[in-house]
Amino acid sequence: MAVSCHGMFDLDSCNVQPDSCALPKGAAFAFIKAVQTVNQRLLGLSEKNKTLLFEVVLLGKDCEEHIKLNIFDSAKHYGLEIDKFYFCSSDNLIGTLQANHINLFLSPDKDDVYSVLKAGVPAALLYQQAEQQAINRLKVLFSGDLIGLSADSMVCLKDRGFTDVHIQNFKAAKECLREFVVRIGEMKRMFGHEGSPLHTSLMTVWGSRDVCASALKTLRGWGLDVDEAFCLAGATCGPILALLQPHIVWDNGLHNLKGVAPLLSS
Amino acid sequence: MQDPNAEDAVGRLSHDSSEENDWAAAKAFFDSLKTTTKPRPPKPKNAVTIAVSSRTLFNMVKERKLYEEEGLERYVSYQLEHEDQPFTPGVAFPFVKALMVVNARLRELYPDSEELFDIVLMTNNHAQVGVRLINSINHYGLSIERFCMTGGESPIGYLKAYMTNLYLSKDSQKVQQAIEEGIAAATMFTCDNENKLSDTQLRVAFDGDAVLFSDESEIIVKKHGLDTFFQHEKEFENKPLAQGPLKCFLEALGKLQRKFYAKNLRITCPIRTYLVTARSAASAGARVLKTLRSWGLEVDEALFLAGAPKGPLLQKIRPHIFFDDQMFHIEGAQELGTIAAHVPYGIGQKYHKSKPLKPKEAEK
Repeated sequence: MAVSCHGMFDLDSCNVQPDSCALPKGAAFAFIKAVQTVNQRLLGLSEKNKTLLFEVVLLGKDCEEHIKLNIFDSAKHYGLEIDKFYFCSSDNLIGTLQANHINLFLSPDKDDVYSVLKAGVPAALLYQQAEQQAINRLKVLFSGDLIGLSADSMVCLKDRGFTDVHIQNFKAAKECLREFVVRIGEMKRMFGHEGSPLHTSLMTVWGSRDVCASALKTLRGWGLDVDEAFCLAGATCGPILALLQPHIVWDNGLHNLKGVAPLLSS
Repeated sequence: MQDPNAEDAVGRLSHDSSEENDWAAAKAFFDSLKTTTKPRPPKPKNAVTIAVSSRTLFNMVKERKLYEEEGLERYVSYQLEHEDQPFTPGVAFPFVKALMVVNARLRELYPDSEELFDIVLMTNNHAQVGVRLINSINHYGLSIERFCMTGGESPIGYLKAYMTNLYLSKDSQKVQQAIEEGIAAATMFTCDNENKLSDTQLRVAFDGDAVLFSDESEIIVKKHGLDTFFQHEKEFENKPLAQGPLKCFLEALGKLQRKFYAKNLRITCPIRTYLVTARSAASAGARVLKTLRSWGLEVDEALFLAGAPKGPLLQKIRPHIFFDDQMFHIEGAQELGTIAAHVPYGIGQKYHKSKPLKPKEAEK
């Protein structure tokens, strides 16, 4: 599965130290290390698992030449296994992703994630972890409020004030999510319930417990048994997220509505 | 019963564009998705949050045995196979039903208030078992909207995140960790012949030393005997005892009780608290009552047993839960059908009645 990463390094602070040999670590760093652990474990189980492995691609947006060089060197310096490097302009982001058959785009930038998701390319948010977490597990969090809804129920969202555009985005996001979930489910089944390097969680923020139950069943139907489940029913998710410290967060489109987006980062 | 908040949000929607009211739209949407017109759960900071584990809420003895004998994989697949079979009620079930009764009365009197009980299911069960748990909660119509299934991780951190006021579990290690983190917690045990309990009034009974109060006086009894204890208590009658692990829970109950008193409903208040202590009123009782007064707290009934067994008295009171720090009191209560919860705190853990336990026994 090709995963494209933006936010590997903290590019903003590289202006301060132009001569340092390695860029400081960004939000994606821990994620890459965790992915490498998963890959190692998969290969460790069986050579046949080669088809299931994560393939990480680094995507640089609007990078100047000297930055590109810095990125290559830093990746080598930290021993990151990056298969390819792409550099493109921000206008061409989606085109580049689609042309290279990227299965998942990750970025700490919410706007990028949502615009990519709208175009039908799976995308998820890189969570800014408070401190470097133990890298023996890759932690994925799914935001479940819309997962349990079937295509028909989505249509009646119109009565509640959501526009056609919103609903279209939700459907596109859900389809992207499904593709990712199926693959992650395959990987996860290689490991048992205990000691797995893939840790998945489900969180419903607004929905009632039945929304959570139906999200659990939908994910199971797609082949993924999540490890943890949280039903917040309106409680703030900040403290829970701070404890969970996932690497990536799938919020399948609901929270790209202005005013609801801060929910995830508050 | 119409959810007043949903009505409000829908009204707003018809006036403003959805762009400006995404928040209201999302909220209204989810409120309307509920299968019944259940009221929305309160914000954690306003509510009295009670966290119960899955094994205290439901009877999972058979499944637990399976887990211990045949491992996690078999346990999870068994739960999935029986997903549509609700569990039978567990030891904390009557307590939870009583909390719901209080909430109903509070909502009648204060429809807009968020000062209610909020019951959270806090379990380190695997998320897949969640579906069967949710089905069971639906079956009994329990108002538990929030849950946390940690899939094997410790739930202690999440207890703090949900601002938990009381945590009930069958696992004494978790309960101990919670108490060390400053969260009121108690270990529950399966109780066989339960007495018939009130279904209009929540009754909570507390032991005094090392439960509501610190174990400072308990230490004197264990180490220096009763006579020294009586002397000490008389001498320090006016010095408040330090607080114990369940003081804050009593405080939270008091806050809700005062909402009924404010409406002149003291007599029919659906919460009643009891202090059931082995202290005697004459020699050691005054300090206890003065301490409570200094904290601005009260109990409805204070029962000084002067060393008599607690079992028979509790049988008369019929609390939905009784908290004590000493196992022999817990056992005594259970023998006569009271639901008792152990608070693993203080010097009482290292003794059985007045004999010190051997170190191995004390660590159990």
